Amino acid sequence: MFINYEHENHVYKVTIERRQENFFVTYDNTEYRVSVDEIQQGHLKITIGDRIIKSIVTEGDKEKFVFIDGSVFKVKPVELTGRTKKRKKEAGEHDLDSPISGKVIQVKVKKGDKVKTGDIILVIEAMKMEYLIRAPFNGLITKVNFKEKDQIEIGQKTVEISKK
Amino acid sequence: MFKKVLIANRGEIAVRIIKACQELGIHTVAIYSDADLNAPHVLLADEAVNLGDPTPIESYLNIPKIIKIAQEKKADAIHPGYGFLAENPDFAETCNKAGIKFIGPSPEVISLMGDKIAAKKAMEAAGVPVIPGYHGTDQDNESLVKHGKKIGFPLLVKAAAGGGGKGMRIVKTESQLLESIESAKRESKSSFGNDTVFLEKYLEKPRHIEFQILADEYGNVIHLFERECSIQRRHQKIIEESPSPVMTPELREQMGRAAVTAAQKVGYTNAGTVEFMVDGFLNYYFMEMNTRLQVEHPITEMTTGVDLAKWQLRIASGEQLTLKQEDIFQRGHAMECRIYAEDPKNGFLPSVGTILKLEEPTGPNIRVDSGILADNHVSPYYDPMLSKLITYAENRTECINKMTWALSHYVILGVTSNITFLKEVFNNHEFEKGNTTTHFIDNYFKEWTITKKTLPVDALISLAVYDSLHSKKEEIVRYKEADPHSPWKHVGRWRVSGGE
Repeated sequence: MFINYEHENHVYKVTIERRQENFFVTYDNTEYRVSVDEIQQGHLKITIGDRIIKSIVTEGDKEKFVFIDGSVFKVKPVELTGRTKKRKKEAGEHDLDSPISGKVIQVKVKKGDKVKTGDIILVIEAMKMEYLIRAPFNGLITKVNFKEKDQIEIGQKTVEISKK
Repeated sequence: MFKKVLIANRGEIAVRIIKACQELGIHTVAIYSDADLNAPHVLLADEAVNLGDPTPIESYLNIPKIIKIAQEKKADAIHPGYGFLAENPDFAETCNKAGIKFIGPSPEVISLMGDKIAAKKAMEAAGVPVIPGYHGTDQDNESLVKHGKKIGFPLLVKAAAGGGGKGMRIVKTESQLLESIESAKRESKSSFGNDTVFLEKYLEKPRHIEFQILADEYGNVIHLFERECSIQRRHQKIIEESPSPVMTPELREQMGRAAVTAAQKVGYTNAGTVEFMVDGFLNYYFMEMNTRLQVEHPITEMTTGVDLAKWQLRIASGEQLTLKQEDIFQRGHAMECRIYAEDPKNGFLPSVGTILKLEEPTGPNIRVDSGILADNHVSPYYDPMLSKLITYAENRTECINKMTWALSHYVILGVTSNITFLKEVFNNHEFEKGNTTTHFIDNYFKEWTITKKTLPVDALISLAVYDSLHSKKEEIVRYKEADPHSPWKHVGRWRVSGGE
């Protein structure tokens, strides 16, 4: 999976993938093959080649904290590059855009429906995976742009919601 | 000995006193405001009574409320800790009138020592050196200049009502004197509405060195050697140590005797601290006397092996001081630093929030006097001190090494602390050499900010691994056939096909 972390206004792009007993972490064009022992919740003992690092990770409402080598780092997870700031400005509007190209397999709302933050609006399938579009805020569905089995492209707006 | 003691405080000092009481078999009553529901002193005490409104004046400073609780709970004594009501003579008086023993000196002594000028006069009369100066009522410029010349230069012009350096001038030569008096008066008038100024000899390379004393109610007084507390930021102590790196056996002997004399002359009882300023030539001058158990008392406990909090209780209950001066020895080196919830990156402003993760360093001769627990909320109502970290070792260098280790293993996540800053102070070369004057922070850390660190790759790996292990099942990507080059790898809103 892709994960972006924001720290001191810098965004760090990382991918991590689990293959059997190992994790493969890629950052800045370098792949690290690591094995992990979670001693207790958030207490990690990570072996990277012949190096062992110990760290403690925990999460708050908005941030995550890492304690490593006596220092504390506070980061904000960012779901997709360049989207956090925009989303802040537009109060979740972008969450209604499809982040992938695929097929609409389920439309759970119709025009005139009331939705609450977090309600599932639409399910998109791509590569045998489902992607959920959720209501980013409370509101009223004013337009539904797709029906089941429609093809949807990345960036297309799924539905329109008017805020109450 | 008392049967039941109410602790009129919160945080680490309340915890410290409750522990001392419980060791002595005394039943304890804690008080707590709405902001401290799950605070460690509440959990530890045998009984705890809610004060409601967290505003200090409605809670830990509310004398009628506290006295009423003490009476209802039939406490026979109140320990005030430090801060809040600890040096309030009215509180001590009210306790006495209510028939509850106040654990500390008499209201008269608290009053006398609370009046800084009267205290200095009393000390001067007792033959304890005080900083040469003028604290009189002749406030016309001509008289002040005359007194200033008598004191000599450099000297300090200080606003009587002053604080935080306002209305304060250092005068290096006679020619600047009149001008400095006038400007200090103007500044004091506009800041405090009062233009009374004092003149004092200005000390070169000053150090803050204080002596711990214990006095019983039968005239027995001993001292327990010194603590140096020169490392201060904005007049707030941050690091204390014992012994002082500058102390000589002769000076220790002299100052110790002066501290005992000071306590005897004013009829001091219980634990107290006599604060001195020591200049670069090792001249010492009485500054003030603190009529309470000090924040930094643990370093004296480490180097002497004497439990000061327990002695406070014993003395207040009428026991005799059985410790003799010749039985008290100073051994090894102890240091304390204060862990504050403040953000060094943001002008050391107090930081609030929830403690998400807390792990205190442990090991031989590492002591943590803590006022927090995991999941506690650090509120904006009270002093931002979270805990005190104390280390003890055979010598100063090993003590610094132990402190550095302990700070590096102190995990506080969720609330920003000053730990990074403290580590840098302990690793400062001048600190290592013992060149600690009260100007230390201004000299070496005035412009200090956390060097902007990039996020280390080890931190990134840790985060990614954590997220991979802890992402919610519904939202994690799973591959039946792993493909490292697949672009469909988002954390977030994925779920496995066919779910629902």
